[in-house]
Amino acid sequence: MAGGEGALVPVPSENGGSVAVYPLHHGLNPPIARLAISWSRGNSLRVSVFRPPSEDQVGGKVVEVKLSNGDQEITDAQWRRIEYGSVSPFAMLQSRRSSFSSLLKVSKSPSPYHLDWWEYVIEYSKDISSLLGGRKLSPNPIIEEPKAIFKKGEEPTCLKAAWELMEIFYADKQSQAWLPERLVDWLADYDSLFSSTQRTIHSKLVDFQKDLVNIQVIEDDPRYWEVLSSALAVGWLDIVVKVLRLHGSYQLDQLSNREIENGLVEAVAVLISKMPRLRPESAVGKLGECFKSKPEFSKAWEKWRAQITKLDCSAFWIQCDNHQTREGLKGMLQIMLGNIDSIHMATCHWIELYVSHFLYIRPFTMGIESMYNLVLKCIQMKPVSNTHRLTGLLIAILEENTEVVLAECSKEYGPWMVAHAVELLSAGSEQAEILLYDERDNLGGISIGELYRLIYAQVLSSHSLTWQIAPIYLTSCMKQGMGLLEILLYRQSVRHNESLLKNIELCRLYGLNHISSNIMKVAGVYDWKHGRKGSGVYWLQQADDANRLHRIAQQLFDSVGKSISDESFKQWEGVIELLGSDSKSAGGLEFLHKYRDFKRFLQQVTSGKSTEAARQAVDSLILLMKNPSTPQRFWLPLLYDSLKLFNWQDCPLLNVSETNLLLNKLQELSLARLRPDFKESSLPPEALGCVRLALATNLGRAILDE
Amino acid sequence: MAKPLLTLDGGTTCSSWNYCGERLAAGSVDGTLSIFDFRDPASSSYLRSTFKSKIHEGNIVKVVWLPPEYGDAVACIFADGIMSLWEEVAKDSQPFQWNMCKSFGSSSMKVLDVQFGISLTILKMVTAYSDGYVRVYELLDPLELKSWQLQAEFQNVIDSVSTSGKASCLSASVSWNMQKGGSQESSFIVGYNSNTSELNSSKVWEFDQAHQRWLPVAEMVLPEDKGDQVYAVAWAPNIGRPNETIAVATSKGLAIWNLGLNPDHDGRLPVERIALLPGHEGEVWQMEWDTSGMTLATVGHDGMVRLWQSNLNGAWHQQAAFKPTS
Repeated sequence: MAGGEGALVPVPSENGGSVAVYPLHHGLNPPIARLAISWSRGNSLRVSVFRPPSEDQVGGKVVEVKLSNGDQEITDAQWRRIEYGSVSPFAMLQSRRSSFSSLLKVSKSPSPYHLDWWEYVIEYSKDISSLLGGRKLSPNPIIEEPKAIFKKGEEPTCLKAAWELMEIFYADKQSQAWLPERLVDWLADYDSLFSSTQRTIHSKLVDFQKDLVNIQVIEDDPRYWEVLSSALAVGWLDIVVKVLRLHGSYQLDQLSNREIENGLVEAVAVLISKMPRLRPESAVGKLGECFKSKPEFSKAWEKWRAQITKLDCSAFWIQCDNHQTREGLKGMLQIMLGNIDSIHMATCHWIELYVSHFLYIRPFTMGIESMYNLVLKCIQMKPVSNTHRLTGLLIAILEENTEVVLAECSKEYGPWMVAHAVELLSAGSEQAEILLYDERDNLGGISIGELYRLIYAQVLSSHSLTWQIAPIYLTSCMKQGMGLLEILLYRQSVRHNESLLKNIELCRLYGLNHISSNIMKVAGVYDWKHGRKGSGVYWLQQADDANRLHRIAQQLFDSVGKSISDESFKQWEGVIELLGSDSKSAGGLEFLHKYRDFKRFLQQVTSGKSTEAARQAVDSLILLMKNPSTPQRFWLPLLYDSLKLFNWQDCPLLNVSETNLLLNKLQELSLARLRPDFKESSLPPEALGCVRLALATNLGRAILDE
Repeated sequence: MAKPLLTLDGGTTCSSWNYCGERLAAGSVDGTLSIFDFRDPASSSYLRSTFKSKIHEGNIVKVVWLPPEYGDAVACIFADGIMSLWEEVAKDSQPFQWNMCKSFGSSSMKVLDVQFGISLTILKMVTAYSDGYVRVYELLDPLELKSWQLQAEFQNVIDSVSTSGKASCLSASVSWNMQKGGSQESSFIVGYNSNTSELNSSKVWEFDQAHQRWLPVAEMVLPEDKGDQVYAVAWAPNIGRPNETIAVATSKGLAIWNLGLNPDHDGRLPVERIALLPGHEGEVWQMEWDTSGMTLATVGHDGMVRLWQSNLNGAWHQQAAFKPTS
């Protein structure tokens, strides 16, 4: 959907009743007569568009709309990499949470939770952050390429920038004391992202770098000094010092006659590289002197400022005859001295102005509230026509309004972001934790945190390559996760064995036996109806579906006494074999088994005419007839099937007592026929007579033999 | 962005996806039923036609899939009021084919809507007829879609005194409370678009095991809207909410109702209309809840697809709309 994936996530702010209308391209000529809709997996909606009936035109189209297409700046493949990559940090954090809460229950002291929990959160945050992009576009100078200001790195993304912003403010408790400095670093990494909407210091530098090779006398170009002031204003000290040293006075042939000028340039460079910073340490090789504690920093800061003032008033300036250099360097000193007009001039975006406030105007800013007030002031000084998605988030964070932060995350960065950022937010403060994890009647008894996880799981379910990770998020939803998981698993296709087995495995993993039995039932019926009877019976047995197995057994009974082809006998035999392994599930199976044996011998008799096989057939017939589980309705069909045995040429196969047993059964049957509930078999009317005659003949021969 | 899946033949009037979204059944104006299958389930790339045959003289107006526990089968409702059940089977090693199992309805007693639900492991078919009667059929043999038995027939009215005069119903809408597995006694909602006001309002019916009959346990209507014609009803899937959510579309708009689960002393379930939304400036054709029961998608007279959601404060609103364009 064009509006970014956040558009379909519930957000607390109503947008005044106006609804976003998106075009749904179907490529048909108008008019359209009718529409039909159906939800597919997760968040995808299928729409059928029908034209009015006509002969020569196509009748309609079916299109699929994914209601959450993800962030536009990130490709689908990258999204999937992020989605898969975030599973293990997420699962790890969840398992840590559960062991934490069980630990809490045992010790009954809240301290361990609050002491250490954020450490896990920061580890999680770093893991996630590393997924969102590799090396940042860092403004490090490279020695090998003296004129290159920027290293070429991976393009930064707003998603990563937003995640880091959340990490700075909510998860990283250790750096709470030097938040402003973290923001300075953050902007150094992501200033380029703001170039999309307006001019930034980054874009200024990039433009300047392009022209650098063509500039003869660099210090005579006013842009040189402009770029230096700008980079200095946002604290990109390494760049400033590097660019300063491109100054013409450094060239060997110039040293002798530009000594003073060069001395001034170098003095400024040294002052810049010695700038005191209130932070534990900077990245390796970065300029500036770091101080952990405020008093130390404060002392160093005073000293540094005094040095700048001293240099500013120095007599050497009069001796420097290069006007451009003199003015340029003086301008830089003004920035370092915190001259608001110079800083205002040097910065482009209000966020750059904001950061330079921390560096030069209010280096002792502490606390979110004062940071928020400062933001308002900077926006006022450099108003922008449209809000950037990153500044929206930053302002919401500084406003300390968790709901707005969530809404910004969801609107601008989508379900993945919210589902994962909830962990950071809830680590931020107790109020935020309550807001996120309190169950709400409005949401059907779930918490906001759970809601966002459900929404993200829906997004994952929408794609065939990601639905299998949705269960990990669903199982972390205490109230409604399992309900959705059940539907998700139930609605997978059973037509392909591989996915069927995977599905059943997932059910087993999450203890959803009733769902797996349902899935197996569906698979069993599908196979049974599509000519794969054996597999059908197998799945129905796995599903413990006594009802359907009983019906299948009944269908098998129906073929008792009927002549069947070799092929279908084999199939019939196979099904009985399968049913046999679980005789409880279908009544009368004992009979079916015996009948199968009998039928098998009888078939051998037909094909081979061997007396031995015939004797075996007789034995199993007698077994069948003696057995009380043999239904009476099958007596006559069985006997009629055996006519050949009774009329055996070589010798009588049944002895006197066996023949008498059968004759008695026949007698019983004749009596039963008089009862009203007797069901006549489908045999020819003369069947009974034939059997009686054959048995009588056999009896005669048996008496003679004995 | 919209991804095209399939082009339909001229004269196609209705379509329906099966439970897993892998097969599409489409009906057309000349009574042709077509089945389309995804060739490769993993890529879900494109659909191919696996069956196409004229199964009836006259327009197919609606196709409904049966629950997959009963095979791959559809119910087709025709414009002349007949409804027939068709099932895909393969005998031995022969290729599969679609066979008719059973048909219901007539020109004087038209089937208007049909929906299937599983209740106590028995498949039940609720059919709404043009004579204002709801008929519930039970499948006797779970492997045989021919063997249906009429379990109950009743009018969609609260008082047992039947309505005076002959009811003439244009359309009806049935929706089951789908419980997974179907091991429990189930319930459904039905609403009518007719000239008889008592029939119209949508009512929830529940089977009373003790007296072996269907009882109306809730009526989704405000007193002043009693006679309003109902275009569509949709029971939301419930993944764990303490209440049921039901959408009812009438000429007044699209209402979202909460249905409590604890009956009062009369055996009635408490209902509350939690939202009345503008809808589609006219008839609503179809309403579908997503799997979580959090988003309702609707289509209707204005030719738009609209999505409705509740925000974090429980207020329902239109979240987005899609305008079909070439």
